[in-house]
Amino acid sequence: MSLTASSVEQPGDSEFHEPEGDDKAAGKVGVEGRSPAKLAWARFRKDRLSMVSFSVVVLFFAIAVLTPILVAAGVLKPQDSNQDLLNLMTGGLPTEGMSLAHPFGIEPGTGRDLLSRILLGTTLSMTIALSGAIITVIIGTVLGIIAGFTGGVVDGVIGRIIDLTLSFPSTLMLLALSQVVVDRMLDLGIPSGPNGAFVNGFYIVIVLAAFGWPPVARLIRGQVLSIREREFVDAARLMGASRPRIYFKEILPNLWAPILVYFTLLMPAYVSAEAALSYLGVGIKNPTPTLGNVLSGALLYADSYPLFFFTPAIFIAVIVISFNLLGDGARDALDPKAGR
Amino acid sequence: MGRTRKRFVALATSAVVAASLAACGGDGGSSSNDGVGNQEGQEVTEATKGGSITYLQSSVTEHLDPQRVYVGRDISNLGRLVYRSWVQFPSGTTDATEGTTPIADLATDTGTANEDATEWQFTLKDGPVWQDGEPITCEDFAYGVSRTFATDVITGGPNYIIGYLDVPTADDGSSQYKGPYTGEGQELFDQAVSCDGNTITYKFKKPWPDFPLAIASLRAFDPVREDQDKGDRSDLVPFSSGPYMLDGEWDEDSGGTFVRNPEWDGEEDTNRQANFDDITFEVGVEPETIIERLIADQGEDTTAIAAQNITSAQYNQITGDVAERAVNIQSPFTNYLVPNFNRIEDVKVRQALALATNRAAYIGALGGELASTPAQTIVSPDVPGHQPLDTFGSPEGGDVEGAKALLEEAGVETPYPITLTYPIGSASSENAFALLKETYDEAGFDVTLDGLDPSGPYYETIQKPDSDSDLIWGGWGADWPSISTVLPPLFDSRLNLTANSNGQDYGNYDSDEANALIDEALAETDLDAANELWGQLDQLLADDVAYIPLDTTNFYYLRGSGIENYVNSVSTSGYPDLGVIAVAEDAQ
Repeated sequence: MSLTASSVEQPGDSEFHEPEGDDKAAGKVGVEGRSPAKLAWARFRKDRLSMVSFSVVVLFFAIAVLTPILVAAGVLKPQDSNQDLLNLMTGGLPTEGMSLAHPFGIEPGTGRDLLSRILLGTTLSMTIALSGAIITVIIGTVLGIIAGFTGGVVDGVIGRIIDLTLSFPSTLMLLALSQVVVDRMLDLGIPSGPNGAFVNGFYIVIVLAAFGWPPVARLIRGQVLSIREREFVDAARLMGASRPRIYFKEILPNLWAPILVYFTLLMPAYVSAEAALSYLGVGIKNPTPTLGNVLSGALLYADSYPLFFFTPAIFIAVIVISFNLLGDGARDALDPKAGR
Repeated sequence: MGRTRKRFVALATSAVVAASLAACGGDGGSSSNDGVGNQEGQEVTEATKGGSITYLQSSVTEHLDPQRVYVGRDISNLGRLVYRSWVQFPSGTTDATEGTTPIADLATDTGTANEDATEWQFTLKDGPVWQDGEPITCEDFAYGVSRTFATDVITGGPNYIIGYLDVPTADDGSSQYKGPYTGEGQELFDQAVSCDGNTITYKFKKPWPDFPLAIASLRAFDPVREDQDKGDRSDLVPFSSGPYMLDGEWDEDSGGTFVRNPEWDGEEDTNRQANFDDITFEVGVEPETIIERLIADQGEDTTAIAAQNITSAQYNQITGDVAERAVNIQSPFTNYLVPNFNRIEDVKVRQALALATNRAAYIGALGGELASTPAQTIVSPDVPGHQPLDTFGSPEGGDVEGAKALLEEAGVETPYPITLTYPIGSASSENAFALLKETYDEAGFDVTLDGLDPSGPYYETIQKPDSDSDLIWGGWGADWPSISTVLPPLFDSRLNLTANSNGQDYGNYDSDEANALIDEALAETDLDAANELWGQLDQLLADDVAYIPLDTTNFYYLRGSGIENYVNSVSTSGYPDLGVIAVAEDAQ
């Protein structure tokens, strides 16, 4: 009894509380006594694909951080029109393809530099996806823990809310309500940002989170159902720990693995959701670039100017693939028993 | 011309304009693009009868009711297919003068006016019948125009003609005659429009010397038979007096088919050649798809036509054989921006906006020379009396330094915040407005682009006198070739401004001086003298920056290979003239 209790009091010892079997396995292997997190990291590093995708993800985060600085410094010029490089007799197609000044070419019609637009678009798309994923995971985790741990009526109510949210025609609502909700947000004092970019991006984030949390909540609830029967939870209860303490100090540390995996899988889903929504006319609008609105502007030119179409498409594809692979790798590393 | 017809032009989805095309022979940029034709080569030959035509359309036809239709494309098509009137424009002509000179249709001649043109008389021919064989009567004409007064039922049409007819108005400015459905004030209307046997007399409040032009340009004066009128339910049920009639029903979302009207007499109505056997309107096809299908030219699409501009992304596919089936002409349609006078009161700021308006970039984003040409006045080049003004800067525009200097003179704080409200459209029109913003921003403004759905909240928003828009997009083409159908409907505050709406005067422009000039010009019966006055008015509007001209749109159309006698007639506002078009023998 006392042993278990002491381990409960120091959950910070290890970042990841692996299921019991793992602890045993780790005990056998580890002469130096490595923590489960270290073990997971070791497993992760052994998988070459995961490491490659991890580096690509790091690269994209670097792009996302550096681009606004480069734009502010005037190195990247996403809004400057170079119409002198267009042939205005063929509907404004560029007279040249890739060049040193414009490595990805320029946009037909406007002559704006595509490299700058795609990089800035990456920044904004990643920001939207990241904020959306974080909010989704927070809502889903909190509600999942409460539902799983409390059980009974609370569990039932949250379960029905999940069902209700999942059965909403979310895409349709999102399209139909965009103008109304954005106007209401502006009334509430949410800043509009340059050309409405902030409030429109905020709307996307809110909507993605509002309709994205139920699967997270269900997953977490399932995990919590098994965790709450474990001895350290009983011990904490017996010692009179408060509900929030049990939720966040006892249970939450055991959930990092599924949360991390789910998070890495939400990111790519949200990047492509942003692109799809842009095509449907919701979200950040031209002239502020996102990967989605650059791509939807390029759709018409898939035939006549494929370079314009393929670069943003490839960017989205690479982001989605590398995040997905990263998510898979993380899952394998954190839960080796699941296998593939 | 009504706002409905202008909705889609700048959006490059479907060009909708009425009126004439004097400058049509001029180059719409076509000479330098290999093989693309203009109107010069278009002529009517002896055509084979028979065959079916498909008319591809992306935007819906909102009204088929003669008193409600106000979209140029639909006005032209219905006038050639199903509706006859007193007079019409000759078919198949690209000559500006000939194409806008009315010829007799159901009337024995082109009408007689009294000395000051406040009264017009037309006499009905003997013989023409409706699609059920009943003769068309003078009373049908009187009934037709009376419907316009029922403003609660007959919506969407050119309601301003109510103001022309000599029916007394009530205190609130509305007519004392409330239309045939309530019959209130019927005797007042009967005095203004009266039938004596086969002769009708229209009485007007003021001189209307070009009244026959209005009859031929609009459908509002066409006859309607009372027993066929079911009010709002008649909207999509045309009752034909012309060579074709609707087969079955018209579906608002998918269109319908017109077949030959057996009661129509081709010997008597020679202006409408009625060459093809039937025409099917395929509505709701995406603009890009329409052009792709016409480029592919397969199956039934070989006999397809469309009033659909080729999108700029597809320009480079118009080469070789395809280019021979394409035509590029200047439309009668001008796009412009209006500053909101309720919000931007300083004329220097408005002038700065005018100077910074980057027309070259705007047009480049729309697709360049083939898409449109810079405009230097709101009056389209084909309207008699058109005179380019240099008040708005160079045709290319985008004078950043000049605008900066003006803003400094005005002593306003920069960046000066501006909301630019425009109708959402294609990717290229989005880019065009983005580039306008770019140059405005450089000049010291801070522009927020406010794109709204033109079939939804756009007009609702900009017509509110207290709207938050500072700069508003508009598009206009003359109802008939006269400046009197351009400047007064857009800038006469007495016609437009009410407590709840600014009508077509989106900028809430209100000038006694301008109104006085309008009265003076409208009262002038000599055309040249009138145009002199219109020129003064246009200059006054330019000095006040009541508007900022953008561009004159081109029509860049494609047709199937089995189409013959394809003419973008002046008389059908540059739309394909269905009065002469035919299907080639080997395509039937």
